[in-house]
Amino acid sequence: MPTQTMLFVLLLMLMGGLYHIIPGLTRPDLFFAVTVAPAFRGSSDAQRMLGRYRAMVWMTTLVASWLELAAGLAVAAVLLAALGYLGALVSTNRAARAYAAAPSSILEVDLAMPQERLPGGPVVAVLPVLFLGGLGLWVGFHWDRLPQRFPVHWGIHGANRWVTTTPTTVFGFLAMLAFMCLLVAGLAWGIVHRTRRISTAGAGAAGERHFRRLMVQLLIVSGYFLVFPAWFTLFHPATAAMNAWGLALAAVILAFTVNLMRGGQGGSRVTVAAGAAPVGDRTPDACWKWGLFYVNPEDPSILIEKRFGVGYTFNFGNRWTWVVLATLLLPVAAGLILLR
Amino acid sequence: MILRIDLKSPVPVYRQIVDAIRILLVSGELNPGDSLPPVRRLALDLGVHFNTVAEAYRTLEEEGWLEIGRRSGARVVSRAVPNRCDPETGEAFQRRLREMAAEVEAHGFPRNRIARELRRLADNLERS
Repeated sequence: MPTQTMLFVLLLMLMGGLYHIIPGLTRPDLFFAVTVAPAFRGSSDAQRMLGRYRAMVWMTTLVASWLELAAGLAVAAVLLAALGYLGALVSTNRAARAYAAAPSSILEVDLAMPQERLPGGPVVAVLPVLFLGGLGLWVGFHWDRLPQRFPVHWGIHGANRWVTTTPTTVFGFLAMLAFMCLLVAGLAWGIVHRTRRISTAGAGAAGERHFRRLMVQLLIVSGYFLVFPAWFTLFHPATAAMNAWGLALAAVILAFTVNLMRGGQGGSRVTVAAGAAPVGDRTPDACWKWGLFYVNPEDPSILIEKRFGVGYTFNFGNRWTWVVLATLLLPVAAGLILLR
Repeated sequence: MILRIDLKSPVPVYRQIVDAIRILLVSGELNPGDSLPPVRRLALDLGVHFNTVAEAYRTLEEEGWLEIGRRSGARVVSRAVPNRCDPETGEAFQRRLREMAAEVEAHGFPRNRIARELRRLADNLERS
């Protein structure tokens, strides 16, 4: 069996495993993105729904794997997996709505809660951008040291797309990397300053702080990882350094992901103090479309804690979200066209 | 220093914020020099519009409790207590108390409990 097929099937199995465990990572009073009584998750109805969801996930995974193994239809397998997982979530989300509980109408904020800051300050977050700027300057003065061509895309077997070295490709490549570094720095800033702090005190608040810190650290470390390809590709395009870089990046992301899952979604798995009611996530059920997309024009947040999955999602009802998305996507699209 | 808002209350959210912060100010939990969270931060944490919090802060600023800077956020300032012991103020206060008592009684709160709460409040006021 070709290595590529094996890796593909392994990836599908990992996806299946991930979707298998995701329902358990949400806050105790959420079940498939629906607000429920905290005891509901242990009920027979909830277990039945969870069992049916998991059966759909693994059925999808197996059929998608078979498509790749037997017929080599990778694109069809990916499409089937995406639709299957989405279908499993949407149908379970609909079934869970029958058990929805009224969310608490009480909102609490601790006025004395300390302000959170980017670890190491903003300079640490934007240092990769400054490095790339410096690299661009250096390249401008040492153009003769660059190779004739350099790679801009990699697959399992190494570089698979090369471009001729011209000012447009070199500076376009550096600008795109700098933009991506700015993007992760911006996301880190957004998580620190523009996400809702839900728990006000105790283990819940500490858990949330820890979770945010981990997310921010992951983003900042990713920014540092992004600057390496610029160095490798422009000065050592034939080396295997890129493969080592890819493995190191995967290891770092995996370590963070495991930690994030253990730490819990926004402190969700932090033990709720005895007698204290879970606080929910302060978003109305009606604003969650398919349990995945949050659309609430009344909510000032741009980034909001996911109800299904680990991390944050956009509030698509906020017009600033669309401004941010357009700002993010347009330069990336321009960069990709430029480097073709 | 917990600020608590009830979305089901008929009292507008901005008014609830004003009332809750004023209680903290009068009771001495918030003192001159203390900072309040910036408007955006508080609005995000509560999940209400920025203007709602900005309006609440402006009201407290007009009452002389806060100083709002563009960059520094809201800061508690020392405030000269106005001398308003005229009969009209006393009557307005009595009327508000009667209205409030009638409202909670209409919602089924027992009369003896209302009296007990008022007594407790009076005791606290005298002690402070």
